Amino acid sequence: MDLKDKVPRHASFTQHQQKWEDPSILDYSRRIESPFLAFNQTHTSQIKVPVQHGVVNELVQASKVQDWDPSAMLDNLSFLEQKIHQLQDLVHLIIGRKGQVLGRPDELVVQQQQLVTADLTSIIVQLISTAGSLLPSGKHTLSAATPSLEQSGQFGGVVFPSAQGLNDGFQPQNAGGCKVSGLPNSVDISRKNGNEQNHIIEEHELKDEEDVEEGESLIPGTYEILQLEKEEILAPHTHFCTICGKGFKRDANLRMHMRGHGDEYKTPGALAKPNKESGSEPTIIKRYSCPYTGCKRNKDHKKFQPLKTILCVKNHYKRTHCDKSYICSRCNTKKFSVIADLKTHEKHCGKDKWLCSCGTTFSRKDKLFGHIALFQGHTPAIPLEEAKAPAGPSDQGDSNHAANKVGSMNFNFSSNVSSESEVQSSMDIKGNVDDPAGYFSPLSFDTCNFGGFHEFPRPPFDDSESNLAFLLSGSCNYPHTSGED
Amino acid sequence: MPPFQSNKNILSLTEDLLVRIYEILVSESDRKSFRLACREFLRIDSLTRKHLRILRIEFLPVLLHKYPRLQSLDLSACPRIEDGVVSLLLSQVGPASNSLRFGNWTRGLKSLVLSRATGLRFSGLEMLARACPCLESVDVSYCCGFGDREAAALSFAVGLRELNMDKCLGLTDVGLAKIAVGCLKLEKLSLKWCMEITDLGVDLLCKKCVDLKFLDVSYLKVTNESLHSIASLLKLEALGLMACPLIDDVGLQFIERGCPLLKAIDVSRCQGLSSSGLMFVVRGHGNLLELNAGYCLSELSTALLHQIKNLKHLEVIRIDGARIPESSFQVISANCKSLVEIGVSKCVGVTNMGLMRLVSGCINLRVLNLTCCHSITDAAISAIANSCRNLVCLKLESCNMITEKGLCQLGSFCLLLEEIDLTDCCGVNDKGLEYLSRCSELSCLKLGLCSNISDKGLSYISSNCKKIHELDLYRCTGIGDDGLDSLSSGCKELKKLNLSYCNEVSDRGLGYIGRLEELCDLEMRALNKITGVGLESVAAGCKRLADLDLKHCEKVDDLGFWALAYYSRNLRQINLSYCAISDMALCLVMGNLTRLQEAKLVHLCNVTVEGFELALRACCIRIKKVKLLATLRFMLSAEILETLHARGCIIRWD
Repeated sequence: MDLKDKVPRHASFTQHQQKWEDPSILDYSRRIESPFLAFNQTHTSQIKVPVQHGVVNELVQASKVQDWDPSAMLDNLSFLEQKIHQLQDLVHLIIGRKGQVLGRPDELVVQQQQLVTADLTSIIVQLISTAGSLLPSGKHTLSAATPSLEQSGQFGGVVFPSAQGLNDGFQPQNAGGCKVSGLPNSVDISRKNGNEQNHIIEEHELKDEEDVEEGESLIPGTYEILQLEKEEILAPHTHFCTICGKGFKRDANLRMHMRGHGDEYKTPGALAKPNKESGSEPTIIKRYSCPYTGCKRNKDHKKFQPLKTILCVKNHYKRTHCDKSYICSRCNTKKFSVIADLKTHEKHCGKDKWLCSCGTTFSRKDKLFGHIALFQGHTPAIPLEEAKAPAGPSDQGDSNHAANKVGSMNFNFSSNVSSESEVQSSMDIKGNVDDPAGYFSPLSFDTCNFGGFHEFPRPPFDDSESNLAFLLSGSCNYPHTSGED
Repeated sequence: MPPFQSNKNILSLTEDLLVRIYEILVSESDRKSFRLACREFLRIDSLTRKHLRILRIEFLPVLLHKYPRLQSLDLSACPRIEDGVVSLLLSQVGPASNSLRFGNWTRGLKSLVLSRATGLRFSGLEMLARACPCLESVDVSYCCGFGDREAAALSFAVGLRELNMDKCLGLTDVGLAKIAVGCLKLEKLSLKWCMEITDLGVDLLCKKCVDLKFLDVSYLKVTNESLHSIASLLKLEALGLMACPLIDDVGLQFIERGCPLLKAIDVSRCQGLSSSGLMFVVRGHGNLLELNAGYCLSELSTALLHQIKNLKHLEVIRIDGARIPESSFQVISANCKSLVEIGVSKCVGVTNMGLMRLVSGCINLRVLNLTCCHSITDAAISAIANSCRNLVCLKLESCNMITEKGLCQLGSFCLLLEEIDLTDCCGVNDKGLEYLSRCSELSCLKLGLCSNISDKGLSYISSNCKKIHELDLYRCTGIGDDGLDSLSSGCKELKKLNLSYCNEVSDRGLGYIGRLEELCDLEMRALNKITGVGLESVAAGCKRLADLDLKHCEKVDDLGFWALAYYSRNLRQINLSYCAISDMALCLVMGNLTRLQEAKLVHLCNVTVEGFELALRACCIRIKKVKLLATLRFMLSAEILETLHARGCIIRWD
């Protein structure tokens, strides 16, 4: 199915900003760059560059930016002016129609609002871009190229998309099973591919990757099968700094890191994603195979069921073929191989008061009884001594309560937790936590009125302390008392 | 075979013959006489005895040693049964002389009655369940404190077939699941008043215990879902659904299609049901033997009647409280020839004509309940007596129009009559009792509120009905001391007697009562002529007295209570409300009566708070239920209240 149909939303990130899981500002800039490019026809050539030629693309872009042309700048500025006027007219129009709007469904109003927001965004992006082109950037070519080169090196021997591929690896090429709240497709969004893809990430990652694709039935041969080796799957970092050697899970984070190595890495060109995928181009569908021989997810299996994304591969491999090394600290019984699973469990661990003699817990009584009916000899466990009860539950209840609050607070980020914890290393997080503001400072995005933007740099491995620290420092209006035990 | 001297008497019989003789003796008193006869008989008794019901825990160790073949143990009448005692009884280690005795008694034990054993907790139960490998039947009914832990303990008795958990108020689905999973052989389960149980528990039970033949979920808040689960029980024969407010006709539709062996169903007091629901059940189960639909139908509809017609084997039908069209009796009479019991108490539309038609066909009737069928007269009784010669039980409470003529017919034809309830039948007089006394099998006679009978009438009964076990003379103001004289000389087997409000009875009358050695239940409220002397003679004479109600006997003084404390060691329940008992006497009574389980002690004007405190302290280790004035709640020490609570004693604050 075509992405465009699947994601009819236009610039709806205002709604979704709180949910964006990707702390990479570059992602963001890339995403919002697209609309701008759409207007600025001079840059169209860039978006047409296919994914696989990320490096080339980057080079092209870098070289373009490098030679500053005042007349081009003027063009840009006048375009901006024009754009602002257009927007002004639009807003006037909306105000003028207010009276008639009354009878209309809310959707239209929302659409209009989105339209305005989108235009505003594109203006902002263009401004930044224009300003960025003024910066001295002699080593653009090198800096931009390095990460991508390195990444392709990482996956040597495997047919695998480079930098972009890894970063967007968990973006489903076809958005099968993604639910996108149906806002009418009223605006031309055909080229806002970056935007779309990011929406897909949000939606997609809300679900368990392995589950989502269950229903998929691709005809064998119509897609490309890729197989990562075990080491690659389990490797904590896939991006390494060429200067200091520090490893990262995300290219975006690496690029962020690179800024510290010199001003040349701070140019928008260097910070921008190395390549852009053109949504209008039909891409070959890619599916992944598990390297474990005999596994149903292995391409040699008779009833091979391919995995949809790299994240699926990682999760599947860890869950199915690895030791469960993460033990819940609360119950000390449940074990997980994927840390996100542990987190999901911990959210309601202890709240599962329906316990079976086999150790399985259930949040609902009927589920427990169904389980007992199914298995011979299993019985419901009776909670421990009443003597313990008065002290225990009250204590636990409090902490649970607090945890619940945090949990509910985090609810918007639920996708976040799983995805980031997968992809990011603890080192990354530290970086995030240490300097959340600095993260965005170069582009001064914090001045933009993007509600909830500060919440991006969530520490994925949130032990409660850092989590709360984040909550308190962030723009979130969560009551501070929650931090207290 | 043990050698013994061959005398030319009964002792020359071989052991197996003696055992056979012993087995013929049914009543406990006969067996007692047997074992008291001689050592050899006592030995036979010890060897053969399978059932033991004890009143005092202190004798249990000795008795358990004495009866090696014990299969059934009843501890329900025994206070102070608790975890520690159980552990002691089961312990292998101990005094050297005891070490061999203990531990063995549990091996053959099949049945355990622990009803009202409120002192027992899960650890004791678990010890018992684990120690008795052959345990098949357990009764823990009315152990109100029992819950899931106790159920879990019981689930260790894997061979359990019968379990009664009525009024184990703490039992939830979790506990039930424990039992369902642990005791897969369960055939009979009663869960009355286990209010926490829901459909989930019942569903699991029905999935796990597929051998269930008897299931009682009366008074539970289960819904049609449960009936859906129950319908899957292929072996179920009897189902009790009394007063389940949430089930309705749809639920009975499941039963129609399920439970192929269903023989008896009780849906009485189910408010959600109507005739159509019952029609489902009847249509699905043509072999139904027992249908109890009391107080759940407003009317016996013709459609339902049309279905009931097909129940050729129906033996028991109870449709109390319904309006019955007169024609129905004809239909039932013509089709349900096997009927043994009919209950139409408080039914509207029960007429002479109807009953005549009914009994014309149902000649095998043994039990007939006509309570509050006000319009029936001697004509109906006459027809019943003429047709149903096998009648055993007839309930005629509040049938005011019945006179001695009706009783004459009964006395002439229903010679098998064992139980008759004539409460509030003001037409009954001495002449009537004379006719009735011809029913020599009579064992239960209720004459409450029959103010027209006198000592003379009672003397007819006394002299002819020697088998009377229960006599109710509540507010029979015409009865005096002379009547009791004849009663005590005639009805030696009397066990239960109600003399409340028989104002004429004095100390002399109670002297006669003292001759009734079998008497165990005596109610004599508001006998304002009796004093301590009368109570003393009762206490001294009626050794088996277990239940005594002295409410409003205000003239009884401490002398009587001292005697009570001294003699009535078997007393289990006592009501002393409004009595003039003193602190001292109360302490004595409560402390001395070691079997006492329940006491009602309200409005004792001569007892101080200290008196109550001391009395409760004296009995706190065994008392199970006590009724006190609410004001005492804050005057008694917290310590004693806590102790009582810890012992499983229920305090009812009045």
